[in-house]
Amino acid sequence: MNWLWWRRIFALTQKELLQFSRDLILVVATIYFFTGEVYIAGKGVSLELVKAPIGYMDHDQSLASREWLNKLRPPYFDVKGQITEQSTALKLLDSSQLLGVIDIPPNFQRDLLNGRPTEIGFQLDGSNVVLGNLANSYTGLANAYFNQEWMLKQMKVTPAQALEVPRVDVRQMILFNPEGNNAWFMSISEMMTVMTMLSLFLTAAIVVKEKERGTIEQLSIAPLTPLQILLPKILAVELILLCGIALSIFVVLLPVFKVPFQGSFFLFFLVSAVYVYAVSGLGLFIATISKNLAQVMIISILLLMPIILLSGAFTPPEAMPEWEQALIWLSPLYYYINMGYGIILKGSGLEIIWQNLLALFALGTVLFLFGIRQFKKQFGA
Amino acid sequence: MNIRKILTLSKKEWLEIWRDRVYFTMAFIFPFVMMMVLGFGMSFDVEKMPFVIVDYDQSDLSREYSHKFISSRYFDYKGHLKKASDADELIAKADIRFLLVIPPEFSKNLKQGKPAQVQTQIDGQFTYRASMVKGYVSAITAHFNSELTQDWFAKKRGISKQELQAMLAPVTLQTHYLYNNELKSIWSTGTGMIMLVMLVAPAMLAALGVVREKESGSIFNIYASTVTPAEFITGKILPYILISYINISILSLAAVLLFEAPFKGELSLLMVSNLLYVASAAAIGLVISTFVKSQAAAALIAMIGTMIPAMMYSGLMMPVASMAAEAKIEAHAFPAMYQLEILWGTYLKGQGWQELWPNLFVITGFLLLYWGVAVLRFHKRVKA
Repeated sequence: MNWLWWRRIFALTQKELLQFSRDLILVVATIYFFTGEVYIAGKGVSLELVKAPIGYMDHDQSLASREWLNKLRPPYFDVKGQITEQSTALKLLDSSQLLGVIDIPPNFQRDLLNGRPTEIGFQLDGSNVVLGNLANSYTGLANAYFNQEWMLKQMKVTPAQALEVPRVDVRQMILFNPEGNNAWFMSISEMMTVMTMLSLFLTAAIVVKEKERGTIEQLSIAPLTPLQILLPKILAVELILLCGIALSIFVVLLPVFKVPFQGSFFLFFLVSAVYVYAVSGLGLFIATISKNLAQVMIISILLLMPIILLSGAFTPPEAMPEWEQALIWLSPLYYYINMGYGIILKGSGLEIIWQNLLALFALGTVLFLFGIRQFKKQFGA
Repeated sequence: MNIRKILTLSKKEWLEIWRDRVYFTMAFIFPFVMMMVLGFGMSFDVEKMPFVIVDYDQSDLSREYSHKFISSRYFDYKGHLKKASDADELIAKADIRFLLVIPPEFSKNLKQGKPAQVQTQIDGQFTYRASMVKGYVSAITAHFNSELTQDWFAKKRGISKQELQAMLAPVTLQTHYLYNNELKSIWSTGTGMIMLVMLVAPAMLAALGVVREKESGSIFNIYASTVTPAEFITGKILPYILISYINISILSLAAVLLFEAPFKGELSLLMVSNLLYVASAAAIGLVISTFVKSQAAAALIAMIGTMIPAMMYSGLMMPVASMAAEAKIEAHAFPAMYQLEILWGTYLKGQGWQELWPNLFVITGFLLLYWGVAVLRFHKRVKA
């Protein structure tokens, strides 16, 4: 590996970058992925219960029933109003105009005063599981508060005396993201998914393009080793994607979503570089098995799906079924997500993430050597 | 439009797909794998959250309180720690999702009728899960509190517990989940995936089909022939509709067989709307193909152009009603939302023609619109 070796690598890297920059649509799409897509993900999806439209059938119309309904508070709930007929309620639920309907039985207050247990019904649209879960949890809580207050009132405890009743107060601290800002989570997640997709796709596309046009034959008769042919392509992808991620961080994450970047930028870029290296090995493999870009695209997505889903980007490992948990270590994105969130939100340093980094590097090297071997086999160089 | 010309074109297109075996196989495997992975992988069930307890009090009462957490099916108890600071690293590495700290004097305060402060530290990385944990913790505590209060009054006022319970009957909240009784996220996301996958796959296949001819140059044969744009577009789209219709039928069946989702509505409606939906998705692909020159660009844009609306603006992740105004407009500008309503309507809600016929209308409208745009944008003259 002398000076000439490196000059060749440099010249070829330059060629790849030039080629990339001339495919205007690809450049625009790449920029879009790193900015627009990340922005939309952060802005678009909310996994929070905000102003959930709730209706009620208050068959009791008493002080107690109104008090109970009063416990459903904004910003979680938006109590729309009284419904008289069950059929109307169902129609409103069917057409998704209401998320849930509270059903307070007649004699609600009388039963309560007489110490007879009462039951409030809550019909809840379960088709969106996130909202269903949240709505159930918040109404359950509202009910618990109502019971507590009602009990104190029944025992004729005045607010001053209420201090004399034993009570556990919970001070809940949400770490790393105290306001529960969903945009942080979604945008970071999306940025890493985009990284995965592009490092897989761009690497494969750059190689297959040469195959499709036949220019790969020129390269294979040139005095270059397979490593010398492939390394510049990967270096080019590295450079493009690191610029892309810088764009994401400095144009979207920090200024728009005000993500508090706790850790070191340098470490994050280092981790990202290792990640691109790891995934590009898979990209090379795709390139060797496909004949044209259409196949590249389809195979990339096929591979991408399990990588993303096993990574814990949508579902954290503990919530996966067991067979899935056993496979997560195969997904390079799993390590990247762990380290990425660690560095960005939790401010982790190298001393916490080194195991992940090492594992990613090892997995990447295996994939990379495998990719190069396949390539060598195909071109007999 | 000449039917024979259209059919000839379709046959040519079909042969081309058939002879590219990788492409052909992928055209069928791809949607199925995507649906399986997404359906099984995207779970919103919140269970088994790993946590640890730091108990500085070590009393009967604190153990009783901790036990409520340990025995909850939502939480996965990972042990006790000596100091709260020991948990920092576990949380940073995401080995646990939250920490419960019970202070010293917990039982002493409670026994004297004073409030006791416990603390939780919750990993806020997954916002939705953090708020669920918060909710569960509050609910468990509220329940514990009412037991405490009852005991307290029983002791203070010298009434027996039974008498007290008769005086203070609590209200129980009975939640009935409509449409998805057990709140299984796979029923909703699994059936929703049909909408997502079958928007992405037909669009991509159709877009690549046209652009491939552009790249290889064989499109010049079309340019030079007597085929009109309308005939070309229609002939081109038919094989993709056929493939996609087979696919969407397989997926619709898979939702019931593999995801064990119920099917309560009218099958005939679903079959018709599936056909219209994959046709409009393929038509989106053709529109895209008129804008781009390279297969890579076609594939990328088809991905972006369909995945985002289907994922973000269809109601799959959040209901359209609670979207911001711009997002609402985007939701109505794609067939995805209408098809999702049909899917959830027929699978989960037991609806049929009566409730959902307007959606069919809208999807047909989209199909005609995309088809029209593709025909108008398809020029037989190469721009100089």
